[in-house]
Amino acid sequence: MSGFKKSPWIIHYDASSCNGCDIETLACLTPLYDVERLGVINTGNPKHADIFLVTGAVNEQSREVIRNIYHQLPEPKVVVAVGVCASSGGIFRECYNVAGGVDSVIPVDVYVPGCAARPEAIIDGVVRALDVLEAKHAEMSSLAGSIDKILYQRADKSDAPEILALQKIAYQTEIELYGDDSLPALQQTLEDLENDFERRPQREATVLGAPTPPAHPVDESDRVIFLKAVINGKIVGSIRGFAVEDTAYLSRLMVHPYFRRRGIGRKLLTAIEKEFPQVRRFEAKTGHQSKRNHFQLLSLGYQQFKTEPYNAAITWVYFQKFQNPSDPAVRGENRPALNLV
Amino acid sequence: MRLAIYLVAAPVLGGLLAGLDRIISARMQARRGPPLLQPFYDVAKLWQKENIVVRRSQNFYVLFFLLLVIFTGALFFAGSDLLLVIFALTLAAIFFVLGAYKASSPYSFLGAERELIQMMAYEPMVLLTAIGMYMVTKTFHVHEIASHPALLIVWLPGVFLGFLYALEIKFRKSPFDLSSSHHAHQELVRGITTEFSGRALAMIEVAHWYENVFLLGWVYLFFAAWPPAGIAAALAVFGFVILVDNVFARLKWQAALKSAWLAAALLGLGNILVLSLIAPGGSRPASTAVVPKPAQAGSTAAATRVSAAAGAPAGLGAPMAENLLRGN
Repeated sequence: MSGFKKSPWIIHYDASSCNGCDIETLACLTPLYDVERLGVINTGNPKHADIFLVTGAVNEQSREVIRNIYHQLPEPKVVVAVGVCASSGGIFRECYNVAGGVDSVIPVDVYVPGCAARPEAIIDGVVRALDVLEAKHAEMSSLAGSIDKILYQRADKSDAPEILALQKIAYQTEIELYGDDSLPALQQTLEDLENDFERRPQREATVLGAPTPPAHPVDESDRVIFLKAVINGKIVGSIRGFAVEDTAYLSRLMVHPYFRRRGIGRKLLTAIEKEFPQVRRFEAKTGHQSKRNHFQLLSLGYQQFKTEPYNAAITWVYFQKFQNPSDPAVRGENRPALNLV
Repeated sequence: MRLAIYLVAAPVLGGLLAGLDRIISARMQARRGPPLLQPFYDVAKLWQKENIVVRRSQNFYVLFFLLLVIFTGALFFAGSDLLLVIFALTLAAIFFVLGAYKASSPYSFLGAERELIQMMAYEPMVLLTAIGMYMVTKTFHVHEIASHPALLIVWLPGVFLGFLYALEIKFRKSPFDLSSSHHAHQELVRGITTEFSGRALAMIEVAHWYENVFLLGWVYLFFAAWPPAGIAAALAVFGFVILVDNVFARLKWQAALKSAWLAAALLGLGNILVLSLIAPGGSRPASTAVVPKPAQAGSTAAATRVSAAAGAPAGLGAPMAENLLRGN
């Protein structure tokens, strides 16, 4: 008995609705329908809510607001799109300033059709959402219960969709930090990510630099290495890295927001370092405001060695660490930023 | 033993009262309302939610808010000094305010400031209530007040009404739901609790249960000589608070502060002044009000009986009466 089904607190947001669905949503609170029977409270505060109820299509004005509210809802949370506009954009779908349905910005769990959606349909949608909420909670608690049984494994191409989904969730906190969603990690498509599994940066670098053909065409060691942190079959963290000459470039360290501050990121970093026993130097970069990443890297022996502006909002900060610090040959060399970030 | 019962029973009772509150409020609005156990479901759910914080220290303050509220109730039900109880209660509220300040969000700030204003509004009356009880029973100790033979309400009707006014504020009910409202769910501003989520919010909720039980226990104290009336009065006060909550719109903070101080001055202080003129329950010499000298002696004797801190407000009554008589 987790109580989630008995106490759904809702935050209601009007993305760009004609107010038809809003009025029907509020009608659910009236004596005729009285959703408080089911324990529903219309909180008006995302930090208290479990269910995010959105009406209307997403336009350029409301996109950021929706994303912001969504990330202020504590986990576990579900999203209900009320009305045809919220579900797909409806008749406003082709408008110049309309992005589409709510699922063009955040993941939606339940769609309630209708123009306007009837109060009965909205209540039904919320009740369905409770099942989703319960399932999410069950999943999270089973994962949290086996947090010490995390597996750190190599990921392969079949993991690409799950890693991409995790990437989109994990990097949302970076959007909040920088107020900018142009981060490459968030723009990456599934094809691009799948291609990363095939890429051989060592050879690309060789082709760019000196035209010597690779010595061992069948050697697999120069591929991009993906690691995943798995709990109960679900990927909750990932990192990738590749070696070019004597440097291993590490990137895309990500942990699901619900599983942060439990040392998963640190273990991923140390695990991927072991994948590159041959290199002299590790290099990683992160945004200038991601202080937790900085702290993490510094505590693992990395040192900041340069910064580079990426755009108006973000400055990359580069960190490096020497595997064999006594070797002078690899010191002070500034490698080209052949990074996947 | 009594303490253990309090620690377990108070949140259960408080939660049931909160559930009852929601049902009665719903019925007053022609709705069915949630199940009786709804507050427990809510807290159980909140406990399992992710706890999003702006600063981690804000949870620390909320924890101490909860602990101090429990401590306040424990002091009260263990029969300790009423003034100490009030200080503990104030300290608890201060921790809550600090937690909200720590979150550094404008809504949270606003809620915290309004909570401080509410504290300013009810504190004088709460202190006067303790003083009024002292003047009748000659003690600040709750267990001695509870075993006093006289019905306190007979001597302190004004103080009781004033205390009722303070309760309206303390329960955070309309028209005094300035810092955080249970009704204005539509509003973005959730006041002092805006930045709390998950476990912290659950702890705040449980703290309110403890607080409400403690406050109703204090209402009981007015009728302690006749327990059935005491329980009936506590429940009646609770019902009255709910009724007022549903009937009145919110006041502005200026009006809340002024009216609360006016109530404290007229009802509380007025009652205490009258009390210093007439002798309550024959426990003081009948000549007290007429001849100033024995009154002085009586109050200094009382001051030595209680602690030095308690002695200062206790001695207030007699000199005041003295001045009043001189003026006449």
